Amino acid sequence: MKKRILLTAALLAIWSVGASLQTRPTAAAPVANRESDFLTRIRRLTVEGRRAGEGYWAPDGKRLVFQSEREPGNPFYQIYALDLTTGDTKRISPGYGKTTCSFFRPGSDEIEFASTHHDPKSKQYQQEELDFRASGKTRRYSWDYDPEFEIYTYAEKTGKYTRLTNARGYDAEGSYSPDGQWIAFTSMRDAYNRPLSAEEQKQLEVDPSYFAEIYIMRADGSGQRRLTSVPGYDGGPFFSPDGKRIIWRRFDTSGLIANVFTMNPDGSDVRQITDFGAMSWAPYIHPSGQYILFASNKLGFENFEVYLVDIDGKKEPVRVTYADGFDGLPVPSPDGRQVAWTSTRAGGSDGQIFLAQWNHEKALEALRAAPLRVGVR
Amino acid sequence: MGQFMKRILIAVLLLSTSVGAQQTAVASRTRAAVEFLASDRLEGRDTGSPGERLAGEYIAMQLARAGAKPLPGHRDMFMPFEFTAGTRDGGSNLTIRGAGGASQAFRGGEQVQALSFSDDATISGAVVFAGYGLVVPESQDFGYDSYAGLDVKDKIVLVLHYFPEDTDAKTKATLARYSDLRYKALAARQRGAKGLLLVTGPRSPNAGQTLRMTFDTALSGSGIPAATIGGAVANALFAGAPKTLAAAQEEFDSGNPHVPGFALATSVDLATKVVREKQTGRNVVAYLPADPGARIPDAGRPWVIVGAHYDHLGHGTRGTSLADKTEAGQIHHGADDNASGTAAVLAIAETLARQRMRRNVMFALWSGEEIGLVGSNAFVTSPPVPMTQVAAYLNFDMVGRMQNNRLAADGVASSPAWSRMLERANVAAGFDLATNPDPYQPTDSSNFNQAGLPTLFFTTGSHTDYHRPSDTADKIDYDDLDRIVDFAVAVIQSVANVDMAPEFTKVDPPQTGATLAGVRVTTGTIPDYTTDAKGLMLAGVVGGGPAEKAGLMKGDVIIEIAGQSITNIYDYTFALELLKADTPVKVVFTRNGERREVQLIPAGRR
Repeated sequence: MKKRILLTAALLAIWSVGASLQTRPTAAAPVANRESDFLTRIRRLTVEGRRAGEGYWAPDGKRLVFQSEREPGNPFYQIYALDLTTGDTKRISPGYGKTTCSFFRPGSDEIEFASTHHDPKSKQYQQEELDFRASGKTRRYSWDYDPEFEIYTYAEKTGKYTRLTNARGYDAEGSYSPDGQWIAFTSMRDAYNRPLSAEEQKQLEVDPSYFAEIYIMRADGSGQRRLTSVPGYDGGPFFSPDGKRIIWRRFDTSGLIANVFTMNPDGSDVRQITDFGAMSWAPYIHPSGQYILFASNKLGFENFEVYLVDIDGKKEPVRVTYADGFDGLPVPSPDGRQVAWTSTRAGGSDGQIFLAQWNHEKALEALRAAPLRVGVR
Repeated sequence: MGQFMKRILIAVLLLSTSVGAQQTAVASRTRAAVEFLASDRLEGRDTGSPGERLAGEYIAMQLARAGAKPLPGHRDMFMPFEFTAGTRDGGSNLTIRGAGGASQAFRGGEQVQALSFSDDATISGAVVFAGYGLVVPESQDFGYDSYAGLDVKDKIVLVLHYFPEDTDAKTKATLARYSDLRYKALAARQRGAKGLLLVTGPRSPNAGQTLRMTFDTALSGSGIPAATIGGAVANALFAGAPKTLAAAQEEFDSGNPHVPGFALATSVDLATKVVREKQTGRNVVAYLPADPGARIPDAGRPWVIVGAHYDHLGHGTRGTSLADKTEAGQIHHGADDNASGTAAVLAIAETLARQRMRRNVMFALWSGEEIGLVGSNAFVTSPPVPMTQVAAYLNFDMVGRMQNNRLAADGVASSPAWSRMLERANVAAGFDLATNPDPYQPTDSSNFNQAGLPTLFFTTGSHTDYHRPSDTADKIDYDDLDRIVDFAVAVIQSVANVDMAPEFTKVDPPQTGATLAGVRVTTGTIPDYTTDAKGLMLAGVVGGGPAEKAGLMKGDVIIEIAGQSITNIYDYTFALELLKADTPVKVVFTRNGERREVQLIPAGRR
């Protein structure tokens, strides 16, 4: 889950900033909702392994593809597909290197994900990480934005991997358009394909995500094109259900404040949806097209909750989850009746994927009742 | 089965079936069994009681109906075991001989009474006072040994109950761990003492009173005669001593490890006699054979055991009842604890009987769980099938009161195979599964963990009716209990069909040392065992108890009590040792994520 956000690393150090964010006034007293209004039959889906997250649905709603650390010998995420009918799980990625951010290609047997397995040092890095853990030392967790990350597809029928990107710098966070013909993704290639100023060079060493921008390409990897050009981490793009918009989140240059935005697939007509003054990210549009689910730490620096906001961001967002720790990366099922998300509610600091029934009618009702957002344009 | 018993059983069965049919539109696979087992007729299924007999007959009948058979080489499904149903003093007495030759005899429970684990013996010897009789093992690097510099070989040792009263919390906390009476007796025996006398010192709660004979399920004594004596007896023993008992205790109460014990001027003749009433309880054990055509590798261990205890507390007269004053002595129905688990295992057997398995699946319904896991312990001690042939043990205890779709699976660290099997089975079942690595749980599965088997223990957790007469069948959530049956069948099928048996991982027991022996107070809290939230989450509070009076409620998470931070149940037990009855303490807890504080006044524990 970390790469679609800089989760804890920098943040813990700057608690006071987070604390001040909490006191930001809202437009009106929020309507008293409970988690059970929106989410019922909450259940933990993944059990095996140290951590799992970022579950994305197959177009038929019968499978979920996700990342998990669950095999001995590799301390990094690999990609797995879970069959929601049988409970069977199979690995999609090669089993070595680092991987992240998978997505089913509609109308195809392909699954897209980002991986570093072509890096000859992959297995060396795995061993180094295992040795580090065995030493008993701990480090603050941070996603390392390995510049070797490239986007791949895996064809389930043939078992063949195809590499779609070939640019130094982190290429990941890909997702398909509903017709399966386009991939929106995040790349930090801008930091590597031009001369950097001294200040930029320093920035790259401290936090390369500053250079992350949204790109688009055809499903075969051709026609790669940049859509955003604003300093700070632009990432986590997904298409709207009608394919006419892209939703993503944009960090400010400090890496502390993030907000949800939408734009046309050619990069035009950028609109800001959220304005919590906190870290609001991991947006996903409900299949009805009427509203957006996203995560924010508005209520406390380490307390991420899932929120709901209308598609235009005119209303005050409505809180969905009510659990300590992390609740984020919400992804509604294709029929809009379930939600998969990543949560630490089972205890510990490592997330697992949870699943619940989603009350669409109640969501619409809550949005109708929500007050207009302060300062809405 | 006697004719009389059979007639009653059939009558009751007919009755409960017809009532059940009226009440339920959709047939539950577990309701009839829970309603029968938790009915008044079975009087709480106390181990060895007629109610337990009847429950056992019912279970055997249901297993046979499902198609399960007695184990190979067994004529029926009953596996009796002997246990100690009660202990009483059989006339222990003590005579003190002073230096001048005068003697003074004592008998009667107020003066001298054997401890429940005492050996029966008649001994004579000089008396040595050894303070609190505490020995902290060297491994703890603490440095406290009541016997340092004392020669107690072939002497009779007199020690104080509890642990030093006036010392700092940390010292108390350490010493409290070793203040269990059995531990004190063991320490005295290891130093060569031939007997132990225990007195509750004049500066401690319940000063000068002898201890009640506690219920102890041990079949025999602990290898040393041990008795509790009244204050007057202790004072008589101190005749001719350089200081009084009270003065001596005050010195020890400082916690200073260098305060020496000393020989008294008196000697005693001590006769101890504990009458242990032996009774017989019955486990009910049957199996469904593997598909004859299926072969598993030789090392694959051809058995899986699925178990639940069916005994409960009877009328709650022995030990662990939490009935309040208005309910005391009533039938403890034990619908959730553990008619629910029993019904689940019966329904599992019925379902599996229609399926093919590559391993034999054994169904074990235990008695004697509530009095100390006695039935399953007897089974593991002399197993009808060698433990080396058993792939795993799955346990169901209190599975009938699901809340928020949450099912706890404890013992996941006992095998690397568990998490995958649970994840796979739960995709269809859809529980909010709360996994807990620890296989050392207060239920029958811990005996199998000790025997080296991978174990899983399923439970929906505790509640305010726990161990009270109000744990009744109408409060059971049968829909979810039936879901648990389906989930369990899927997990059992995984174990029953995999080539190689799940590998066993030995988990180190929790390093706490906390025992209830040192706890002298009650707070009236009911811990929630289905969450591994940091702190102690409450599944409820005992009505009228200190926690309820303090305003604590279900769902609260205690994170600090009396300045001790609490991260789990062990920390909590440990902190309780340090509390004094009627002395208010601050409790810090979170409610809906918000930090709060209250004052709680612990009540004395008898």
